[in-house]
Amino acid sequence: MTDITTIHPVTDRGQSRMINRFIGRYWLVATLVVMIAVFAFLKPQLLDNSNIATILRSSALMAIMILGLTWVIAAGKIDVSFMQVAALSNMMTAWLLASGSGWPLAALGGICVGALAGLLNGTLIALLRIPPLIVTIATGGICASIAAALGKGTSIRIADPGPLGEMLFTNWGPVPVIAVVAALLYLISWYAQEKLTFGHYIFATAQNEEAVNEAGIPARSLILFLFVFSAVLSAIAGVLLAASLSSGQPMIGSSYFIDGLTAVLLGGMMLRIGKPNVLGTTTAILLLSVLVSGSAMFGWADYQRQIIKGVLLLVGVAVAMRAGRRISSHSQGA
Amino acid sequence: MHRHSILPTGLGRSLAFVTLVIIIGAAFTAVEPRFLSTQNIAAVTRHMAANGLAALGLTFVVIVRKFDLSFAGTACFAAMTIGFLIAGGYDLWLCILIGVLAAVVVGTFNGIAISYFGLPDIVTTIATGSIAGGLAFLYSRGRTIFQNFVTSGILDLNDARILGYSVSFFFLIALYAVAWVFMHRTRYGASFYATGENPVSAYFSGVPTKFYTMLAFIICAATSALAVVLILAESGTADTNEGANLLMPAYAGVFLGAALLGGTSVLATLAGTFLITMLLDGFSLLGVPYYYSDGVVSLILLAGVVLFDARVRQLFADLVSFVRPSTQVRENRT
Repeated sequence: MTDITTIHPVTDRGQSRMINRFIGRYWLVATLVVMIAVFAFLKPQLLDNSNIATILRSSALMAIMILGLTWVIAAGKIDVSFMQVAALSNMMTAWLLASGSGWPLAALGGICVGALAGLLNGTLIALLRIPPLIVTIATGGICASIAAALGKGTSIRIADPGPLGEMLFTNWGPVPVIAVVAALLYLISWYAQEKLTFGHYIFATAQNEEAVNEAGIPARSLILFLFVFSAVLSAIAGVLLAASLSSGQPMIGSSYFIDGLTAVLLGGMMLRIGKPNVLGTTTAILLLSVLVSGSAMFGWADYQRQIIKGVLLLVGVAVAMRAGRRISSHSQGA
Repeated sequence: MHRHSILPTGLGRSLAFVTLVIIIGAAFTAVEPRFLSTQNIAAVTRHMAANGLAALGLTFVVIVRKFDLSFAGTACFAAMTIGFLIAGGYDLWLCILIGVLAAVVVGTFNGIAISYFGLPDIVTTIATGSIAGGLAFLYSRGRTIFQNFVTSGILDLNDARILGYSVSFFFLIALYAVAWVFMHRTRYGASFYATGENPVSAYFSGVPTKFYTMLAFIICAATSALAVVLILAESGTADTNEGANLLMPAYAGVFLGAALLGGTSVLATLAGTFLITMLLDGFSLLGVPYYYSDGVVSLILLAGVVLFDARVRQLFADLVSFVRPSTQVRENRT
């Protein structure tokens, strides 16, 4: 939104600006390090091999689910359907397995329904220019309904978690294989975001979609691609969750919703301030996972963690603002 | 601002809406004659009340071109506050007043953070919604509160009838009447629209735009608390996720209404909410399982937004003129 009364300081001491920039860029990493140190000091079992593996495994699933979301929000759009897309692909996989098909077909089926949901999102938003928040609220509702309908309102048990289940619970030392996969995925994405023009186009689209279009870049195709990409990755996470939980859950847990958005937006307060980016998302996911694991050791209830995450998100926005940069508004859903 | 003073784009759309309602009503009655029974009409009007109240507050936020994703969490918090006070044996009206005030505190926080500190609306309201939803657990550690509900008189809000209809419906109509006069017959309402249309020119025309933005968030929080009072009266217990189901219908009501009547307004929201409630009620009469209801609402929302979106109709008009070159081709760049 256009801000009309904020006075932007024209002259600023170079040194304080540098400090501000540094805080703005790296405060999230610093918070992560401090949090690990404090938790590890009070509860040394946080750094047990098995616990590290648990943290990394849940982080990896989360990371796969919201990689696409990071870029959707970086392009100035919003996708609130990712959790329901994951739930739908999760139920689809379980349903296909229950009706007798093998894992490859079931996983493919799950990913395909996810891609369809993404295509619906992308078409309505990029081609028909309907506000992304409205579209994704609606497609989210549709996905949730279909997911529940597949299991007639309850969950579907999976007898054999298959090769994916085996892969999920294989560790190399304290590092699960899936975390390595996620890390590789993020490395490639980081390269695409920082070194290829693709990444520039994403951030440019957030600034001025029309200008990007006029410059000869197919902004609409880019947005369409981003929504499909986001949904496909959520769907892959849904398939992995089916193997991990040995069941299809129509309500895969609203915790993924708030955690996913918190991670992307907190991550957007790091490195490129006000711009969600894959490295920021990674840091924020690790931060949230350590918080969940550490607070579980202290016996904090779920709702207490929910309050902490909310406060963290608010503080994150406020800190990044104080660091002296104008945050580009994420409210471009309008 | 005159074009907002009556129905947004005149009689044509209103007539189309009435026709739509009659067609849908006739279709349901043909399949299930009970649809037109007084009992069912009374049920429709009662179910409309809670969703209608939440949608009314959201209308204000959407008119100033913001989004509020926190009101569902805020409503949960208000519900548990009211439940806790009722269990404590306080006077019912005092309980409701304090519950609404609790919501107003959250709304004020949203408003100040977004309008005066310029924080992005979607991020901020996701965070405060999460915090408020977490705070709802504080009173009873998440347990359902039911003590004193029968003796407190809150159930009368659901059961009492005037002329055969629930009092909550008359309350809804009264509040919409007040909101309509305020929004479409006073300069304060015009200021809300001006803030949404163009905050810079509104500011230079003497409208305290930040104040109006804040006010919109406060109104949204307050009406969601009122909505949850009706839900409490219907269920007879206070649960921590009592308000969670308000989000979807409220957004659907506001945006479906806006799509049908050609602009966001108090009457458009009333129309959208009425249509959705009618459809949901019809489907539940036909025995459609509960888990389809979100999907149905979402589909209606998407269909409404797509079919009535000016840009989409322009697209079809262009397509028709392209197919039949004899018709006058309008020069229109999108």
